[in-house]
This record gives sequence, C-alpha cells and structure tokens, in this order.
Amino acid sequence: MRAYSDQIKIVFDCNREGIPGTLNVCLNHIREKTGALPLDDALMAKIKWVLMELLTNAVKHSGERQSVLRIGFSEEALSLEKEDYGKPLVLVGQDKKKIVWPLEEVVKPVDFPIYHNGMDSLCVRTDEAGRATFFIEELAEMEMPALLSDTSEHFGLLIMTKASDEFAYEHDPDTGLNRFTSTFYLITH
Amino acid sequence: MILKVEEINRVVQATILPEEASLTNADAFKEEMISIIGRGVRLVIVSFENVNYIDSSFLGSLVVALKYAMPRNVDIYLVSLKPDVKNLLTLIRMDRVFRIFNNYDEAMGTLS
Repeated sequence: MRAYSDQIKIVFDCNREGIPGTLNVCLNHIREKTGALPLDDALMAKIKWVLMELLTNAVKHSGERQSVLRIGFSEEALSLEKEDYGKPLVLVGQDKKKIVWPLEEVVKPVDFPIYHNGMDSLCVRTDEAGRATFFIEELAEMEMPALLSDTSEHFGLLIMTKASDEFAYEHDPDTGLNRFTSTFYLITH
Repeated sequence: MILKVEEINRVVQATILPEEASLTNADAFKEEMISIIGRGVRLVIVSFENVNYIDSSFLGSLVVALKYAMPRNVDIYLVSLKPDVKNLLTLIRMDRVFRIFNNYDEAMGTLS
C-alpha cells in the first residue's frame, strides 16, 4: 500500500441529503491542498465523479449509519478511500453467479467479468488476500451497445473504474472493514 | 416536480430543474418520465440546461426510461448537456444509445 504523508478523515452520515455537503467539503479540501498547483479541470471532474459515487455507494449499499472518507496526498498520487463496517461487496458475474466477500476460496489471482456494455467489459481481479482490483477490457465494438440489456447497478463501479487510475476493494474478515480505494496519479510519465 | 414540461403535437420538451441530477431525485425523475411516455407522445426531449452534475443513479433512471420508451416507439433525445455531464455520459458509452443535441432547436430540426 502506498504511504500518504498527508491524509484527512471525513465522517459521512449515510443519508442522501448529506451527499452534496460532504462532496463540497472534500472538493474544497483538495482545492486547498493543491492551491499553488491546482489540478486541471478534467482531473477535478473525475475526482468529483468518484467522490459522488463513493458517497452514493455508502447510502445505497453499506447499510451502515456512517462511513469514513479519507483523502490522501503523496508526491505522486491522490487517494480517495471509503471505509465502513457494513455489508461486504456482492457482485453478480456475467455468468449470473454471485461473488461475495469474504471470498471462500482464492488460491491465485482470479478474474471475473461482471458487466459489459458492448464496448467495455468491467472486470475484477482478486489476489491471494482477496483484494479486488477493478479494470476495463475494451471489446471489439458492436453495432448496438448492450448498455440497455444490463442493470444500472454497475454504472457506479464502471464510472469509478474508468475515472480512476486504480480502483480497488478490500474486505477484512476479522474486523468486517470494507474499503474502496480510488487512486489518481498526479505525475504522468 | 423534477421536470418542467411543455408538449406540442406529441413532442414533449422536459427540462430538468435541479442543478444536481442524483440519487436525491433519480426516482422522481424516473416516475415523471414514465408518466410522460405512457400518455402516448412520440418524442421526449430532455434538457440538461440546469444540470451541473449527474450520477450513476440518475443515469440508471434515464436508462429505465429509455427501456420503457423503446417498445412504445417513443424516442428520447438529450439536449443542452454541460461538458462535465456530457463527458460522464461518454465515459460509460451512453452517448451511443441516446441521441444528443446542442439544444432544443437542433433536436426539433430532426423532425422536419
């Protein structure tokens, strides 16, 4: 895990009315931290999309009264984390099988395709520790995007995966902690 | 009310009123769209002129509305999208399933 020398913690009461206010607190913090060297508008838009989806996810899926957001800066990256002790992530794979954390049997990196819209396939790869990294595989373009044939539940994950440079989920079975992490690289090579 | 609605000759201009199209109003938007589509119109032009931000919940409602409209031969066009909103639609390829125009006049021009 990358070390962030500068990190703040924001407690979010998981209600939909609180989303705009919390979003603004987060964005204002990022603007303050980057004051002398502001992030470009395109990157700020992506950060806003991810923050909004993390907060929406907390309201819709955690089942908890509170979630914690952490915004971290290092020289190379900005990270957005959302933590709660609510229900672990459940994904429905393209084969309709449910993928539930904690994963019962993970012996090596395993890929699950979970959604495709005809052009992008949203996949998740798990490692030995059960950490799930989301990624996109671009498909050969089809004439009619299959966007309409799937549920909208995957839009949030798709947005966070495509907007972030890295997007991952971890679940600690001992403590029950769930953590989504979105990482944006601040230095391009 | 999420939408300000004007109807002329079975063409509905539906302007989203809130600045944030999000979880807060996604269900209401979906219900209002289904009500409009169900009354026998041929085209719904949804204007995002007031919308500064859209999230996955609202996008989901937009897709539900389109799924409801298609078998009823009702088209849904989107107009006046601000750059952030249009970029998000493009990110998840929704620009491929909705017809998007700069404004009402341009959308109406396709009818002639």
